[in-house]
Amino acid sequence: MNEFWADIVTFLSSDKIWNVSRAIILVIVGALVAKLVSSALIKTAGEKMDNHRAMLLKRGSYYLILILFLITALRELGFNLSVLLGAAGVFTVAIGFASQTSASNLISGLFLMAERSFSIGDVIRIGTTTGEVLTIDLLSVKLRTFDNLFVRIPNETLIKSEVTTLTRFPIRRLDILLGVAYKEDLKKVRSVLDEVSNKNPLCLEEPKPLYIFQKFGESSLDIQYSVWAKREKFLELKNSIHEEIKNAFDEHAIEIPFPHRTLYTGSETEPFPIQTVTQNKSP
Amino acid sequence: MTNDTPAKASWWGDFDFACGQSKQWSIGHLTFIVQRLKNEWLIAYERADDYENNGINWRVIDTDLSAESLTERSRYVFQGTGGLLRITPKLADRPIISRPLTPFNLTAGEEVTLYVSSSLWLEIAIVSAQQTIALKEIAIQRPSDTWFGPSTLEGELCYASTSHCRLNLEELPQRPHRAITPVHIHNTADTTLTLERLNLPAPLLTLYTSASGQLWTPQITLTREKDGDIAELKIDNTPPEDAEATSQLSTPRNNTDSNVLFRAFNAVFS
Repeated sequence: MNEFWADIVTFLSSDKIWNVSRAIILVIVGALVAKLVSSALIKTAGEKMDNHRAMLLKRGSYYLILILFLITALRELGFNLSVLLGAAGVFTVAIGFASQTSASNLISGLFLMAERSFSIGDVIRIGTTTGEVLTIDLLSVKLRTFDNLFVRIPNETLIKSEVTTLTRFPIRRLDILLGVAYKEDLKKVRSVLDEVSNKNPLCLEEPKPLYIFQKFGESSLDIQYSVWAKREKFLELKNSIHEEIKNAFDEHAIEIPFPHRTLYTGSETEPFPIQTVTQNKSP
Repeated sequence: MTNDTPAKASWWGDFDFACGQSKQWSIGHLTFIVQRLKNEWLIAYERADDYENNGINWRVIDTDLSAESLTERSRYVFQGTGGLLRITPKLADRPIISRPLTPFNLTAGEEVTLYVSSSLWLEIAIVSAQQTIALKEIAIQRPSDTWFGPSTLEGELCYASTSHCRLNLEELPQRPHRAITPVHIHNTADTTLTLERLNLPAPLLTLYTSASGQLWTPQITLTREKDGDIAELKIDNTPPEDAEATSQLSTPRNNTDSNVLFRAFNAVFS
């Protein structure tokens, strides 16, 4: 027991305890300085930047300062950095195999930030998920979907799969697919559609609406009518123009047909018998 | 039941309101009612789809109709309301794109003056001794949006004008709820300019009224020096010569240097 206490007293009276304390203080001070400097940078320079750049600046400055302080702390502890880096090389291979997914996400994250295919605040679609980008972190991107759910998508997935940025360009095209009955005059249909798009102020006059005859469908003549709108007004146009087309078709007696089925019983068979039922009121 | 107020020369200017009083403006397609209550101002408006120009372009009347009778309503609440309301006509907040009835060619060295009419907004403000507080802006006729640029990636969002660029002022219907801008185009480039669309920088223009109540903007001069759609824009500091006895109504929404280069023509893409 006495020996134990003697060891502790020897340890406390040696230089080591001061080195360890200095190292800990350096790390704490480093974290504080990094936080202060990165926040100050954002306050001074961040106003001129968009969210994405501001985040990169904040993270970059924070980690750079913290790493510098960590290296100094390690030196205080007596580590020889060149030996440490050599050992790190060997360890990296081992750790790399062990944490493949995290490393892959990390590298993907760096590429994502450099590529800038979307930034914070953009609305993106990956597979079936559509949402607003909240943060782009080293391992994942966090989205807020429109039904207010928080979705975390690993960066590796984003690098590998198709990502659609819905808010990149200022105008968007709305494709309206519709079918009209075979008896309708297509010229009239087209002029009615043009009239509807002309009247709707949200529908851009230029680029002009696009009219494409798609095919002779099973029950209808299938048409694609594409109109352009300001990005922010896209949903408003989508709701209003469908209603207006329906009203205009009703007004001009243009039929939007339901699926038709013609029953054929073969050339050898007799026509379908039709029975007329009349209500006879017996006296 | 409606009573006509003493005839006023224009639909804009200062209007006195007693507490509880309502007034109704009808300007082209737009009808709006302003009502003053003890602690609030009510503004309501509606645009008619089937407006027929029967010669009466505008009128301001006292009305018993409440603001509730129109669809778009807004309320502005104060500790107490003063009795003075100011209506100011304003030009559009985005550039306006006009077309000639048929595109025309302007050969190298030629110059021409076109007349372009553009729809207006109106600003409703309350005026007290200390300050003027703008309550709302309403478009008299909501123009359609349009895109002006060489591609869907590059360009700006504008309004499409419902009227056409005219070569003769007489051909342009003069209406008190639209402003007329003389546009002088000088083609100093070596190539012919085919004019299909014209970009009118409405947010940079001052609004004037003539003695007859017609609204005008200063003349703008577009000098095309090189082949392409870019021109140098110069805006006069004075009212146009075609207008007589003018007075200034509102200042430009945005300020610009006197001479700037901008995309003035066409920008039609496929």
